[in-house]
Amino acid sequence: MKVEMEKLEGNQIRLDIEVEKEKVDDALEKAYRKVVREVKIPGFRKGKVPRKVLEARLGEEVLYQDAIEILVPPVLGEALQEKEIEPIDQPTLEDIHFQKGEPAKLQVLVEVEPEVGLGKYTGLEVEKQEVSIEQKDVDEVLEQYREQQAALVSSDREEVRDGDFVVIDFEGFLDGEPFEGGKGEDYTLGIGTKTFIPGFEEQLVGAKVGEEKEIQVTFPEDYQEESLAGKEVTFKVQVKEIKERELPPLDDELAQTVGEYENLEELKKEIEENMRQRAVNETQARFENEVLEAIAQDVKVDIPEKLVEQRMDDMFKEADANIQQKGIKLEDYLKMTGVSKEDWMEENRPYAEKQVRNRLIIDAIAEKEGFNVSDEEIEDKMDEIVGESEHDPAQFKTILKAQGYDKMLEKDMLREKVLNFLWEKNKKQTEGEKEEDRE
Amino acid sequence: MKDPREIILKPHISERTMDLINENNSYTFQVALKATKVEIKKAVEQIFGVKVVKVTTHRMPGKEKSMGVHRGFTPKWKKAVVRLAEGDSIEIYEGM
Repeated sequence: MKVEMEKLEGNQIRLDIEVEKEKVDDALEKAYRKVVREVKIPGFRKGKVPRKVLEARLGEEVLYQDAIEILVPPVLGEALQEKEIEPIDQPTLEDIHFQKGEPAKLQVLVEVEPEVGLGKYTGLEVEKQEVSIEQKDVDEVLEQYREQQAALVSSDREEVRDGDFVVIDFEGFLDGEPFEGGKGEDYTLGIGTKTFIPGFEEQLVGAKVGEEKEIQVTFPEDYQEESLAGKEVTFKVQVKEIKERELPPLDDELAQTVGEYENLEELKKEIEENMRQRAVNETQARFENEVLEAIAQDVKVDIPEKLVEQRMDDMFKEADANIQQKGIKLEDYLKMTGVSKEDWMEENRPYAEKQVRNRLIIDAIAEKEGFNVSDEEIEDKMDEIVGESEHDPAQFKTILKAQGYDKMLEKDMLREKVLNFLWEKNKKQTEGEKEEDRE
Repeated sequence: MKDPREIILKPHISERTMDLINENNSYTFQVALKATKVEIKKAVEQIFGVKVVKVTTHRMPGKEKSMGVHRGFTPKWKKAVVRLAEGDSIEIYEGM
């Protein structure tokens, strides 16, 4: 097999491939064996027609199409491998010369990743934000836990105050007549929670336990029950009990109810750790974004439409997977909101373009700086991941590999390496560090 | 003599006749109903330029067919199996 390569405009490569005639005949033979199963010729049972008769009856050409389908994919794969080309799209067969007993000549167009004209990518002085966790933030989270664990406790106060919970019986009258849905018994209502129509809760403030109170309220104009919207009604309300929310004390017991923590100290530590982790991630993400943005200013690259489309497709699938956890398909969800899949794609196009661009930049830097991920590194990482799961490690590893997970890992790890490199080379140095550099 | 192409009508090709070619170097034709073995021998030799060793003929009955209530027969025909001298061969479809 002979392969010649020519670079064309627009990230395309043209391959001229010549295949030996033995391979052509081989493909024809395979094609015959495939076609013969379907051909019916008088005098022969299905699948028993000799090749000679078949060709004489239907013409040699019947075999060509199948033969080409059989011949081209492996040949193409071999050619791509030989020239170390990684296509980003299905290669297109431009032209093919195919004849029994002759070498086949094919011309193929392959679209490849664009070359990235890197500009400056070190010393860009991107601000690196310090991570600090304040005690105040931790306390806030603890406070939230307390509120979640709050219990309603009977109060012996006589008068209703804002923020209380009251147990009431109530009945509403429209023009002196009771109306449907206007009655309730032993209902627990939080004053100030805006559960009932405006004015109701406010007027209960100051009511006494055991007292029956009449309340005049007007339903809002846009109330869903039309017969009541905008109407003025009277409610007879009896306050039976006042309850107060009691926050549990901040102690070891709270920590134990919230999760599997031994004591309060442990809970605090966990919260702090989580917050730190999140803050670090955020800083990292922000830095990545900023540094790549800065590098992109100085980069020349045509982003291929194909890659953007692929990325948008992936994004759609990711979003779909996310939303399916809530039990609906993204497609159905979009239908409900009246957005077509195409609109959604267009809306996300800028992000997809940016992601593709960033990836291209990262790849280009990795190549220029000679970063790579060795097989051992991948293996180690795999072992680490496999070790964390409950499955049989060896088996799990095989499955992951079959799914192409190791390839993904390789990409991720390479990306990480480049980002670490960028982090080192681009962070804005503090005064102290600058001093050190001068020495 | 009659035109040999009026005697030899067409080759008869099927799984069985393919086997005959391979095993006996015998080629099978549909021939004119009234053709004799001698005529067939000469016709084949003239058309294909080969030496014929032996000819056997068979009168093939028509098959009964029906089309709705109408019944009838497909035509009768004569089959000839022609054995060629060793080394001779016929490209089955050529000139037919």
